[in-house]
Amino acid sequence: MRCAKRNTILLLALLLTFAAWTSAQDEAPYYQSADFNVPIIAGWQNQSANEAAQFHKPAASATIRAAMATGADAEAAAAADLASWLGLAELTAPVYRGKVNLADGTWHVLARDIDAQRSVSQVARQAGDRFIVISFLESDPSSRIVMLAIAQADETLETAEPEMDSALEQLTGLRLDNLTAAQARALPGGEWLVYQSETALVAGSLFGNDSYIALQEGTAGDLAALADAWRGTLLGFFITPDNSPYLWLGITVSLLILAALAGSFAWRARALQKDLAMIEQLEKADAR
Amino acid sequence: MTQHEAENPLAVRPQPRLLRALTIVSALGFAGTLVLGLFVAGTDIQQGQVQRIFYIHMPSFFGAFTAFGATVLGGIIYLWRGSEAWDRIALAGVEVGLAFALINLLTGSIWARPIWNTWWTWDPRLTSAAVMCLTYAAYLMLRAGIENPQRRRSLMSVYGIFAFISVLLTLFIIRIVPDTIHPVIVGASPQNAQGAFEATSGVVVALLPSLLLWLTLMPITLMWHRYRLALRQEAVDALKLKLLGA
Repeated sequence: MRCAKRNTILLLALLLTFAAWTSAQDEAPYYQSADFNVPIIAGWQNQSANEAAQFHKPAASATIRAAMATGADAEAAAAADLASWLGLAELTAPVYRGKVNLADGTWHVLARDIDAQRSVSQVARQAGDRFIVISFLESDPSSRIVMLAIAQADETLETAEPEMDSALEQLTGLRLDNLTAAQARALPGGEWLVYQSETALVAGSLFGNDSYIALQEGTAGDLAALADAWRGTLLGFFITPDNSPYLWLGITVSLLILAALAGSFAWRARALQKDLAMIEQLEKADAR
Repeated sequence: MTQHEAENPLAVRPQPRLLRALTIVSALGFAGTLVLGLFVAGTDIQQGQVQRIFYIHMPSFFGAFTAFGATVLGGIIYLWRGSEAWDRIALAGVEVGLAFALINLLTGSIWARPIWNTWWTWDPRLTSAAVMCLTYAAYLMLRAGIENPQRRRSLMSVYGIFAFISVLLTLFIIRIVPDTIHPVIVGASPQNAQGAFEATSGVVVALLPSLLLWLTLMPITLMWHRYRLALRQEAVDALKLKLLGA
């Protein structure tokens, strides 16, 4: 009997240990910091550290990074994050400024050329008293890449082409008509349209009522794949909500209901005990 | 021991050792499963801390299922054999099951507030759960309103058996009516489910002990206490009648 008990306890302990071990083996597809979560990009080097998510693709000299930053506004926070990340004392003015409303808030869209070799595209939004900044850095000297998110001007259209055209004109002076035939690329995040010329490449994709545009000047690469990874980071980013008061409320309510049930048993048992004592008294009185 | 206690052992029979042990184990088990749910299971990164309510919400439904199941069993055996003991079990099942069902309903509503951005919505699962609670609340009210004990027991046995349809409906409605936003943890979730999460091993570590506790120990222990109360109530009622008769 004692042996059976010991074996049962041993088996339970083993099961719990195994469950805890397998729990630890569950690899989350997200980089999780204390402040936010971003999807880990497949096929990119994960260089995340120090509360910043960072993924690098050496073949494209591209880096995607997400971090919290402080500043007077989104643009200042994006600049501060970039300066601390790359150790820059001075920054050039952005070549593009815009805003896009996503499900989790308004994101400020910025693009700037850091120097002759590097360009950066950033999106930033307020999160509490700080800002979350997602950056796409390209450091290939032979090309320049800009990633943008633009609200659709005409929501009835099911293409990103009007925004591709306007972004292309604003940043390169070219028009979509100057580029050769469109090519559709099906990628994990959705379908991308790619237009190409000898000197420029533009990829665009529609998600909701927003157009996601990627522009590349110089040596052409797999721009659509880079843009898909960048958009996946932006759309997949989320902050774990702080809703612990609801958890405590739920536990309190559960405890109160159980206490009320047990209390009602005790209260009714006590009332019956009193009834019993009264019956006894009445019987004694009758007997007298 | 008083004279009446000696005459009516049913009214004061001391708490059996097994019941005392079950009460202690249930209380410790409840505290233990709370610790597992709050501190051992990982935080759901999408839903946040409120997801931990699930470790009470789902097991409490299955606790209610056990208790209401006991009511069905009690009702059938009472109608078959006429044993009052089974009627007491049926009554105990309704009181305990209703408390568990209320925990299930309220914790669900509290979880929904931050996840669905509303305390309540007339979703098929939520509506059927509310109907289930009202059905069993009506059982208690109806039972209290029937004077004749024999008639009361027979009628409530039939009611208790048919009331279980509301439990089965609540359990299976999300498989029958696909237009629900209530997540399904076991099996495929409906496409429009809001707030679903994966039952990974981290979840299982906290959920399994909790489920076992709510499914077995907690309803059995509480129903046993309620059964003893019913027994005592009947003994006191009998004494009162005897006194009035005298």
